[in-house]
Amino acid sequence: MSVGAFNGHGVWAIYKAEMARALRTLWQSVATPVITTSLYFVVFGGAIGSRMQQVGGVDYGSFIVPGLIMLTLLTQSISNASIGIYFPKFTGTIYELLSAPISAVETVIGFVGAAATKSLVLGLIILATSTLFVDLHIQHPGAMIAFLVLTALTFSMFGFIIGVWANGFEQLSIVPALLVTPLTFLGGAFYSIDMLPEPWRTVSLFNPVVYLVSGFRWSFFGQGDVSVGVSLGFIGLLLLLCLGAIMWIFRTGYRLKP
Amino acid sequence: MDTILSLAGVGKTYKSGHVALRSVDLEIKRGEIFALLGPNGAGKTTMIGIVCGLVSPSSGTITIDGHDAVKDYRKARAMLGLVPQELSTDAFTKVRATLEFTRGLFGRGPDRAYIDELLKDLSLWDKRDTKIMELSGGMKRRVLIAKALAHRPEILFLDEPTAGVDVELRRDMWRLIAKLRERGTTIILTTHYIEEAEEMADRVGVISKGQLLLVEEKHALMKKLGKREMDILLVDPLTAIPPELAEWDLTLEDDGNRLRYVFDAQAERTGIPSLLRRLPDLGIAFKDLETHKSSLEDIFVDLVSEKKEQAA
Repeated sequence: MSVGAFNGHGVWAIYKAEMARALRTLWQSVATPVITTSLYFVVFGGAIGSRMQQVGGVDYGSFIVPGLIMLTLLTQSISNASIGIYFPKFTGTIYELLSAPISAVETVIGFVGAAATKSLVLGLIILATSTLFVDLHIQHPGAMIAFLVLTALTFSMFGFIIGVWANGFEQLSIVPALLVTPLTFLGGAFYSIDMLPEPWRTVSLFNPVVYLVSGFRWSFFGQGDVSVGVSLGFIGLLLLLCLGAIMWIFRTGYRLKP
Repeated sequence: MDTILSLAGVGKTYKSGHVALRSVDLEIKRGEIFALLGPNGAGKTTMIGIVCGLVSPSSGTITIDGHDAVKDYRKARAMLGLVPQELSTDAFTKVRATLEFTRGLFGRGPDRAYIDELLKDLSLWDKRDTKIMELSGGMKRRVLIAKALAHRPEILFLDEPTAGVDVELRRDMWRLIAKLRERGTTIILTTHYIEEAEEMADRVGVISKGQLLLVEEKHALMKKLGKREMDILLVDPLTAIPPELAEWDLTLEDDGNRLRYVFDAQAERTGIPSLLRRLPDLGIAFKDLETHKSSLEDIFVDLVSEKKEQAA
């Protein structure tokens, strides 16, 4: 459907506007996740963790770091991207995006790029915060960054889809609240799924977040619930699914164009 | 003049089954000011929405300066600027930033001098670093116009541009439109204010219930359908029209103080001299005469009822 050159100015305009939005609310954007994460460390790492055994040779305080970062990364990616596209729909300024000579792919790069950037920065801030509480040694820093980037991108796309789908602010928060947070808590963010009795261990394998947390944890400690290749493959699959859904949205004008 | 925008068989039926637009064919000439005139709900906004990519058409094709609006949307849309009817703005953004945003979105690199010029043209210069949410409604309207022009479009769409707009902004807007026209910009505006079409447009398209009833040069339209009215102000009010005056088909207005005669200004014989001779014969004294041409409003009412009769 696209003819002509890439609209780089358009992508940059969206990206810049979205980043400006985050900077306007810098305090909420950064303070909330950092405080929340610190509370997790105090409660799980300090209060409970000191009475817990090591998990696979790793101190419990350190063990939960990858899960905590993933929790923030998932929720922030979704909320950033969903609000990013929902807000123009809500205020009516979407007319500008729809009338502009910009393709679906370019629009998504702008919105998703900005949302992913924000959650990546947050993920790194939380990583830095966690070093105040526990000793961390990251075995595979390259893989860690790759997992961060892929997850941020995938879930920002997922957030974009939710933002397009949502018809109200309630719907906007319902998916993160009813789906993502439970899946993350049950996805081995705070435990290894090996600790679960059957059939829950097998059931857990249907939870996509298990693969994200496991792969990410592998990059820290060299071990995970599933092999790192499976984790990577799974993220790639999710990414393609989201991409496909977005292409479909723009092709059909679903919830964007009457 | 050549055609810059053409619609062929463009129609829109919404999912609810509501037919908003029925197979519209229209050609807009380069550099003209075209007014799309019709009552609320006639399909004006739907038509503009389809051309600008906000609404998917159910049928038909749109060509913008030789580019298909769907297949070659990049080139087509880069030429368009749209001022929407609703005051949809990004409340937290500052005025200059929002203009730069639109310019970028339409694929153009920064041009500070041009944005400055726009801000000044629309009397937004003092507000350039103000958040849009702090502006009045009229100022927001100015911002929307400036945004639509931020990428120097060839065709500017103004959807109900003067709805809820004060006199000063209206004047500024007409001045800007005149300037744009000199530059060769094609302007398409929708309105249900007949004066607006009458004042500004080169051509007028009349639309009602999704149907483009006619497209005509404004002057030709006025001439073709322009009736004139003559009011005869009486010294003593009448209670009824004397049967001797039946052939003029007069009406009594203003509690019998005025006799109104509607005539065709283009006709060979207007019937005025004979009427004026007849009145003193009947002992009807008058003190003044007023004539005026009928407005587009009357023309519009005529057209719509004419179409209804045809359909019936």
